[in-house]
Amino acid sequence: MATNLTLNVNGVNYSVAVADTSMPLLWVLRDMIGLTGTKYGCGIEVCGACTVLVNGQREHSCVFDVGSAVGKQIVTVEGLAKDAQGQKAQAAWIANQVPQCGYCQPGMLTATVGAMKAGHHGSEIMSEVDHICVCGTYSRIAKATQAL
Amino acid sequence: MDRLASSSDSVSINRRAFLGGGAAALVVPFTVSFSARAQAAGSTLGAYLKIDSTNVVTVYVGSTEMGQGIMTGLAQLVAEELMLSWSQVRGEQALASSASPNPYGNPLFGMQLTGGSTSMRGWYLPMRKAAAIAREQLLAAARQLYGGAWTLKAGGQVTNGPVAYPFSALVATAVTIPPLTSPTLATTSTVIGKKMPRLDIPAKVNGSAIFGIDVRVPGMVYASVVHCPTLTGKVASMPTTAAGALALVNLGNAVGVVANDTWTAMKIARSLASKIAWTQPANMATLDSALVQANGRALAQATNVAPKIYETTGAVDPAIVLASTRKVDALYQTPFLAHACMEVLNCTASVTATSCEVWAPTQGQQFCIPTIQAITGLAPAQITVHTTFLGGGLGRKIEQDYIAQAVTIAKAVGKPVKLTWSREQDFKNDKYRPTAAMRVQLGGLDSNGAITAMLYRNVSTSINGQKGNPEDTGAVAGAVGLPYPIVNRRVEFVANPCDVPLGYWRSVGESYNIFAIESAIDELALALGRDPMALRKSLLVADARARGVVDAVDKMSGWSTSTAPSGSARGVAFMKGFGSYIALVVQVSRKTDGTIKVDKAFCAIDCGVAINPDSIEAQVQGGIIHGLTAALWGEAVIVNGAPKPGNFSNYRVAKARDVPQMSVAVIASTAAPGGVGETGVPCVAPAIANAWAKLSGQRIRTLPFYSGATMSGL
Repeated sequence: MATNLTLNVNGVNYSVAVADTSMPLLWVLRDMIGLTGTKYGCGIEVCGACTVLVNGQREHSCVFDVGSAVGKQIVTVEGLAKDAQGQKAQAAWIANQVPQCGYCQPGMLTATVGAMKAGHHGSEIMSEVDHICVCGTYSRIAKATQAL
Repeated sequence: MDRLASSSDSVSINRRAFLGGGAAALVVPFTVSFSARAQAAGSTLGAYLKIDSTNVVTVYVGSTEMGQGIMTGLAQLVAEELMLSWSQVRGEQALASSASPNPYGNPLFGMQLTGGSTSMRGWYLPMRKAAAIAREQLLAAARQLYGGAWTLKAGGQVTNGPVAYPFSALVATAVTIPPLTSPTLATTSTVIGKKMPRLDIPAKVNGSAIFGIDVRVPGMVYASVVHCPTLTGKVASMPTTAAGALALVNLGNAVGVVANDTWTAMKIARSLASKIAWTQPANMATLDSALVQANGRALAQATNVAPKIYETTGAVDPAIVLASTRKVDALYQTPFLAHACMEVLNCTASVTATSCEVWAPTQGQQFCIPTIQAITGLAPAQITVHTTFLGGGLGRKIEQDYIAQAVTIAKAVGKPVKLTWSREQDFKNDKYRPTAAMRVQLGGLDSNGAITAMLYRNVSTSINGQKGNPEDTGAVAGAVGLPYPIVNRRVEFVANPCDVPLGYWRSVGESYNIFAIESAIDELALALGRDPMALRKSLLVADARARGVVDAVDKMSGWSTSTAPSGSARGVAFMKGFGSYIALVVQVSRKTDGTIKVDKAFCAIDCGVAINPDSIEAQVQGGIIHGLTAALWGEAVIVNGAPKPGNFSNYRVAKARDVPQMSVAVIASTAAPGGVGETGVPCVAPAIANAWAKLSGQRIRTLPFYSGATMSGL
C-alpha cells in the first residue's frame, strides 16, 4: 500500500515509498532519505528548526505533507552550499562564529537564504527569520545577516 | 558538609548529589593513562591524543560539547603545548569509560559528567600536562631514532635545525617512551587566549554535525514514547499491538512504540495515551506547583522547623542583631522550570546477547554504563557508549531515563532502535528545576561599612532529597560564601517535600539564590538611601576581582556618569560563582503594552585565564538570553500531577525581538580558569528586577515577571 514518490532534494532525485502521503517532509528527509541536517524542534511550526526551501519558499517541513513536495525543488541545509547566496550565508555564520549547540542553525540558515532569495537584505532578514534559539545566538545572527 | 569550608560555588556538590547518600566528595587524582581503551584506529598518545598518518592531531574530550565550546577549548590547550597549526587539530568525544579512576572524568571530581561549569576548570592543567607529556615523548622518540637534540617546530613537527619531521613519523616510537610525570608546560600564548575558530562550527553550518537525533545505524527501527499524563504514574495495562506499530514495549512509567519511521511512532504513541490504563500516584494532588509554592512560602516564615545550617559567621546570632538593625525582610520565590533543549531527548541503542552499543546526547557518561548494565546484565567491557553533539543539554541530559528506555526497547525488539521523544513528551516529562522560596533578612551597615547581619533561608524542593540524601548544600549555592562583608550570618536550608521529578538546570542553585541575594542587596541600598552601584562598590572594596567587574559595568553602562535615558532605568547585579566573577547592568523601559523591555545589557566577566575570549563572550551573551527567558516568562506550572507546558507555543522563550543590545567585557586575568557556561545566567533576573523597581516603583519578588506568557502573546 506504500506510495512511491520521487522527491528532488538539493538537485538529486530520490525515490521513496511512503505509507502515507500526509507524512511530513521532515521525516521523509530524515528517516527515509537520510538527510538529517533538517531538524525536528516542535512539530507545530513554531520554532523554525525544520525549515527547508520548496521552490525557493521557506516551509516548515514538520507540517509540510510529502505528497505536496513532489515535482518541486527542495533545498535543505545540506544543499545550501550549492549556490552563491547559500555560500555567502554560511561564510557569514562562520565568520561571526554564530552557532553554540548548533541545533537550530540549519533552520536559521535555510530561512536566511530563503529570505535572501525573496529579496531581503541586512537587518530585514532577522525580522523574516523569527525562529527560536535557546542558546541565544540571536545577536550574532543579527551581525551575520547585516552583510547579507 | 564537605563543601562548606571552602567553596561558594557548585563544584563539589555534584558527586555527592549524584551518588546520593552521605558520602564525602571524592576527588580522584589525575593520572595520564596509557591503559585507557583505544578510542579508534590510529596511534594514541595517552588517553587524550591521537596522531594519524597525515599529522592530524585528534583530542579526545571527556567533557560534553553542547555548545559551550569545550571541545575547542581543550584542543587549544593541546595546540599550545604541541605548537600545532589550528588546521591540523580535531576534537572528538571520548567514549564513556568504566575505568577507575576514569581517565575522562573531570579531574575536579573524578566523574565523566559535564555540569557546574567545571570543564575548563578541571581540565586546564591536566590536559596541558597530558599534551606536554606527549611533546616530551615525541622529542625523546626523535632523539632515539635520529640522535642529537630536537625541539618542537610549528605545525606539529620536531627539528634539529636543518631537518624537520612531522609528529606522524615519530608517534610509533613515542608511544614506547615512558611518560614523564612532571613535564614543563609551555610558556607561550600563541593559541591560549586567542579567538580560535570553534572546531565544531563548520559542521554545524553545513548540516553534517551529528546530534543524537541524527544517528543512523544499519537495520535500525524508530521508536517514540508516551508517558503517563500524571508525573510518576505507571502503566497498569496496555494494548499489546497497534496498527502500524512494529512493537509496543512496556517501560514501566511509559510505553515505547516502535515503527518504521519516527513520525509514525510519534503518531501511534499519541493515540495510545487514552488506550493505556495508568496507575495514578497516590499523592497526585500534591504534585501541584501552586500547592508546593504555598508550602514553600509558609516554610520560609515558619519558626517550628529545624533548618539545616549551611553557613554561620560572626559572634552573635544574626536574629539578635537583626532585631535592632533590620533593614530588609523580603521573601523571594522562583518557579519550577523546564529545560526546553532545542533537541528533544533521544537515544539510539543496539543490544545483542554479548554487546550493547549506544549513541546518546549525554552529559552524564559516568552513569551510562551502570544504567545499561542494569538493563542488559552485560559487563562494562561489552558496552560502548558514544557521545554525540548535544542540541542543548542545560542539565537535562545528565539524566538517564531516555537512555534506559532506548536500551530497553532495543533489547525487546532485537534490532537497533532510535528513540525520539515528541516535543510534548519532552516538556511534560522533564526533571524540573527546583522551585524555591527564599527569605532574606539584612541588617544595616556598621561603622566599618559592613552589613551587620544576614539571616537567609532557602526553602526548596530538593534534588538530593529525591535521591535519599537529606543534605543539599547545592540548594544554597550562591547564598553561602558571599564576598560582601557581613559580620553575623546564618544560611539555612529547609527541604520542601515534593515528588515532582527534579533535576539540575543551567546555573543550578545560583539561578535562584542570586536572584534573592542581589535583589535584597538592592533593597538594602534603597533602605539606606544609597545608590545600588555605589553600595556594592563600597562593600566589595577589599576584593579586587569583584571590584574589577563591578567597576567595569559601571563604566560601560555610564551608571555613575550619566542618568538613564528618559523612560528608562538601570539595574545592577553581581555574582562570585563557578570560580568566576561577573557583573551585569541592564537598562529597561516599558513597551506600549506596559510590560518590560530590556534594551541594553552591559556585562563584565573575570573568569581567570580566558582560553577563548570569543567563546566566553558567546556563552555570556547566551547566558543573558537564557536568564532573560527565565526571569520574564519561565515557569512550569503543574496542576494535579499534570505539567502544563506542552510545546514552545505555551512555553515562552526569548526570540530575536526580545534581545537587548549586549556588550560583554572579558577582564584580562592570570588567575586559574573559572567557569563560564552558567555564569551569565544568575545575574539577569535580579538586574532586571532591580531596574524595574527603579522604573516602576514595583518590586518583583516572585518570578517569572509574566506568568502564563505564550509565544504568540506577551
